Amino acid sequence: MSESKESPGTNAVEVRSLTRTFGIRKALNDVTFDLPAGAFLSVFGPNGAGKTTLVKVLTTLMAPSKGTARVAGMDVVADAVELRSHIGLISHNPLLYPDLSAAENLEFFAEMYGVPDASTRVRELLEAVELDHRRLDLVRTFSRGMLQRLSIARALLHRPEVLFLDEPYSGLDPHAVDILDNLIAQIRADHTFVMISHDLAKGLSLCTHTLIMARGRVVLAEEISAVKRDEFAQLYRSTVGMGVA
Amino acid sequence: MAGTHANPRGLSVRQFKAILKKDIVMELRTKEMITSMGIYALLTMVIYQIALSQAGTAFDPRNIAAGLLWLAFVFTSMLGLNRSLVHEKDQGCLEALLLSPVDRPVIFFAKATGNLIFLLIVQALTIPVFAFLFLQQGTYAGDLWMIPLVLTMGSIGIAGVGTLLATMSVNTKGKDFVLAVLFVPIMYPLLLAAVSATTAAVLGGDGYVQQFWSGMGLMAAFDAIMLLAAFALYEFIVGA
Amino acid sequence: MSVGEKRFLGLGLYTWIYITLGLAAVLTTAALTMTFFFTPVVLADTVVDELRVIGGVPIQNQLLFSQKIFYFHVPVAMSSFLVFIFTALNGVRFLIKKEKIYDTKARIATEVTLLFVLLTMATGILWTRYEWGTWWVWEPRLTTYFILTLMVIGYFVLRNSIDDEERRATYAAAFGIIAFINAPISFAITRLVPSSAHPVVFRAGGGLISSQLIAFFLGMAGMLLFAWSVYQIRLREQDITDRVEVAKAALEE
Repeated sequence: MSESKESPGTNAVEVRSLTRTFGIRKALNDVTFDLPAGAFLSVFGPNGAGKTTLVKVLTTLMAPSKGTARVAGMDVVADAVELRSHIGLISHNPLLYPDLSAAENLEFFAEMYGVPDASTRVRELLEAVELDHRRLDLVRTFSRGMLQRLSIARALLHRPEVLFLDEPYSGLDPHAVDILDNLIAQIRADHTFVMISHDLAKGLSLCTHTLIMARGRVVLAEEISAVKRDEFAQLYRSTVGMGVA
Repeated sequence: MAGTHANPRGLSVRQFKAILKKDIVMELRTKEMITSMGIYALLTMVIYQIALSQAGTAFDPRNIAAGLLWLAFVFTSMLGLNRSLVHEKDQGCLEALLLSPVDRPVIFFAKATGNLIFLLIVQALTIPVFAFLFLQQGTYAGDLWMIPLVLTMGSIGIAGVGTLLATMSVNTKGKDFVLAVLFVPIMYPLLLAAVSATTAAVLGGDGYVQQFWSGMGLMAAFDAIMLLAAFALYEFIVGA
Repeated sequence: MSVGEKRFLGLGLYTWIYITLGLAAVLTTAALTMTFFFTPVVLADTVVDELRVIGGVPIQNQLLFSQKIFYFHVPVAMSSFLVFIFTALNGVRFLIKKEKIYDTKARIATEVTLLFVLLTMATGILWTRYEWGTWWVWEPRLTTYFILTLMVIGYFVLRNSIDDEERRATYAAAFGIIAFINAPISFAITRLVPSSAHPVVFRAGGGLISSQLIAFFLGMAGMLLFAWSVYQIRLREQDITDRVEVAKAALEE
């Protein structure tokens, strides 16, 4: 296993000249940025900007063509298997099996991650996302908001250090948005977040750091305090340009 | 892409069991694969009846029984294979599996084992029906114990290569059609040997034991080579 | 980098393509000429000089094409398999390196394979007609090529049903490898499985005399050069298309 884990307080994500090409298409083009542990990064950009590719590389689902990336102190290529135990993904897709119950879904993924004392952990998380009363019901019968809560529980099963959020708010009704906001607030303190979002206002309200991408390149990487929030939308439009936003 | 650290064997076994158990629980709950495959097999029987309706009384269906059986299995298994991967694809669950610290071959072997079990169940249900409908006249001349052996040997190849091909076809535009186009030619040698061995088991006759075992040997060789290839290629396919 | 800029022995690649194409034409023509004018007809290892009845049709020895088509059929068949090796090889290289050029090479190799397996099937059917008196026999070699043809068609069906470029390349590479492994297995199993309907016809290969051998090797060399030229020409064409795409993309920036 990886011996050189960096001490807390250093960067949770370190990306250096990350490039991902196929043929003439450059999904990622020389992307470099750092994210300190405990931060919340919002990644903005028009469709095809490379946001999804960036998350796929950082979550080890895709190998970079050039450059390096380290997440939680581990290299996304060399330490891929080990790294997977330290990251979680909350996507707009629930990533749950509709024909299994809530508890069965969590138990299944707990096995996949080798979580010790799985049943206790599952119960604890079901309580945390307030789905304990529905634990034996098939996921097929869940509402969009309940699915999203359960998928957060799934992402937290193995106590990941870095959480990736891929448009987690898309398709949620206002009530479900509130619940998701609350849940994120609860776990905010002990996790690093990387979120892809189309929603400028939502992304800005949560983040400490921001990254704007266009055509595979980083257009802007700033700590949010350096940017005035109300000027940000204007800045986004001018940097991304061409009316794509 | 492979990490340099492989998982401890204990975890891989746990993951293998978890995936297999999940597939079985889901199948027991929905009975989706087994019922659809079973009904499909029954429909094939009806079509056989039509095909044989003008063959005359002198024609002994036992001569082509093995071929008819494997034909039914080929089509039903394509149906089932497609289903088993659609489950993983639908809600992005495959992505969730890939995000977990699992060695990709574990996913392959677990899915293939699940498919193998379902194929064998459907076959076990189909064969008595087939025998009841078509093999009433004439005596059974071969050895009955050969049948489960040859079915298992054939199904291992079908489930193994089929799981790989279905993982691809499920991500294409014409899912079922693409699977058929890829699956049938690749399965050709296996099926040829399977029909030969099964015919020996059904008909008996001169040197049938030898014909059976030579067919089994060829099937075993196909299974070994193709499973090895599928095992090596699965990591690339499932991550693409 | 342009593939066309590579040089060998001071000559550009295009020059080499013209040379091999010309050489291929000369060699195959020479082989065919030899076949028809200088090689004797042999049937069942004896030279035929009387009237034969094949498939109910009396055929004079001058018309016994089975020997003649052999010099075309076998080189085409062997070339198609040799080119298919490139599909698998470039597939492996693609999976390791993930560079698009290997996918392009594999695809073009498969295109050439398709051309050659179709030619093989056509000549094979003619051969079957004159040798055994029917248009089609499920004979191991023909069957194997039939399966090979289906796999090559499957390769392109698979490609056409995937939009994502990289996924298409990955799946195609994997299927190309599987199909390549499967081809010899098919051949072995069609031979080894006892078949009641069509006893396998083994042709003893020992009886080739020197004029036949020369014609055969000329044909073989010509066909391989032809395959290589077609492959290179398609690769060039693809290279030019790709460069146009790069230029377009650069203009858009």
